[in-house]
Amino acid sequence: MVLADCDVECPNDHLLLGVKLEKPVEKIYANFPKLDKGRCAKCGLCARKCRSNAVFKASSKYPVFIEELCSGCGLCWHICPNKAIGIKKKVIGEVLQRRIANDFWLITGRSVGVVDETGPIVTEVREFAEKLAKKEKADYLLFDTAVGLHCGVIRALIDCDLAYAVSEPTPLGSHDLGLILDLLAKLKVPAEVVLNQADLGNENLIEKIVKRRGIKIAYKIPYSKKLVKAYSKGKLGKLNIL
Amino acid sequence: MKLAVASGKGGVGKSMVVSTLAMLFSKSKPIVAVDCDVDAPNLHLWLGQREKWNEKQRISVSERPIIDKKKCKLCGKCVEICAFGALKALTPGVVPGVVLNNFFCEGCGACEVVCPQKAITMKAIKNAEIRIKKDVYGFPLVSAQLFPGETGSGKIVDKIKEKAEGFDYQVMVLDAPAGTGCPVIAALNGIDYAVLVTEPTPSGRSDLKRVLTVVNHFKIPYGVVINKWDINKKLSGKIEKEFAGRMLGKISFDKRVFQAIARLQPILKTNLPVKKEIKNIYKQLTDLEVAEHSRKKPAKIDLWLSKSGK
Repeated sequence: MVLADCDVECPNDHLLLGVKLEKPVEKIYANFPKLDKGRCAKCGLCARKCRSNAVFKASSKYPVFIEELCSGCGLCWHICPNKAIGIKKKVIGEVLQRRIANDFWLITGRSVGVVDETGPIVTEVREFAEKLAKKEKADYLLFDTAVGLHCGVIRALIDCDLAYAVSEPTPLGSHDLGLILDLLAKLKVPAEVVLNQADLGNENLIEKIVKRRGIKIAYKIPYSKKLVKAYSKGKLGKLNIL
Repeated sequence: MKLAVASGKGGVGKSMVVSTLAMLFSKSKPIVAVDCDVDAPNLHLWLGQREKWNEKQRISVSERPIIDKKKCKLCGKCVEICAFGALKALTPGVVPGVVLNNFFCEGCGACEVVCPQKAITMKAIKNAEIRIKKDVYGFPLVSAQLFPGETGSGKIVDKIKEKAEGFDYQVMVLDAPAGTGCPVIAALNGIDYAVLVTEPTPSGRSDLKRVLTVVNHFKIPYGVVINKWDINKKLSGKIEKEFAGRMLGKISFDKRVFQAIARLQPILKTNLPVKKEIKNIYKQLTDLEVAEHSRKKPAKIDLWLSKSGK
């Protein structure tokens, strides 16, 4: 089994498994713009065309690149008529590897610093995990995604054979479950539901969402104070829940 | 004053805190609430609102390349430069041509710029819906939904913050999404104060530190709230020590909160102990607000807003 933590903004699987992460085994880089003032004619084209609003240009001044907003797409250095924008490589993420048991690896992806566009980190982590799974002939490759529907989530889900959508029987749970199931349908990834704290709240809300889409609830996990406590101590791995 | 509630980790009680604070602030002054979690907006539910919006508007904050197959000479330049791996060249054998993977495209437009044949044109797409509820316990709520499968959540957050500015307010309360990426950066940009919610779990603590890198980067003053503090008193104590002088309050674990939200009952409309605990946090924040007036504003990086068009 290879587990890849693709929640690169806030990776937590190692904490739940009660292990420490060691040194990164791979760095992930992205390209960012670097101005050559000698060539820049201060025309402002880069600032006008940047769709991330990451280039600020005051009149008669050199443009300023705001890295926190930059996705590293490269439009500015391609469009510059004076070839005044060069490329600098910057580390935006890292891959960490940890062998949990003889036949169980954890691969963790983690963004480094303030990174606007974390999607490409997910893709790199995934490729790393896929290579390892192939090399070790793993039966299962499991991805833990970030919350939400954004590019990082999409990059973790795309081309998977099956996705478990975890939810809870509240209006919040059913609302978000509907969204992620719609996303999975668009990505053509088969889905099943795991219902957490299944005995609290109102299960009808979830039933409505899954029935309409013809999706089954694969597992139900009842509320358990013991589970909450074990989780809070980072000792979930020691609880014999499986 | 603009106040955002963030956490890094999802499910730690962020929206519960935001919804209750918004209702408390609105008792004494005009406020506007903004749900920046455009991937999965829930603030309206925490405020007891079903989806009956006064205003819905489909917006376009992203574009997609349209490739003119007649002009394309299969040079592969666009495929080579795409930073997101969204363009693939299908080689002969199949039908030759460049194919776009919509799910990976960020709409940056670099491909349009590099195409020597001018075969690529960027076209605006509707990728989100802005939703406004004008009267939620006497104040407006601005929310948005990113359509599943689309990208651009950060820019949608910028848009709804712009919308929220149109309301007459003294306090803007923002619910930031989980994580630390573009929508979080967009939500935190230009705010005066951040309330960081965490829980005493190893992941709660770790994610608090992750989101702090963003908060500190923008030099935003902040305070910390520990939710469910009593599920691990030892770790809670450790976090309190780490953030001594920054603590705004602690909230107890109560599974009745879960049941209240299952009935769509806002915390302020219950009689749970949690309500009193958040009221205490509110008191601390109102003291801060007074102090805020005499303090220098944090650095803002939204200078480009003066730029027209985009």
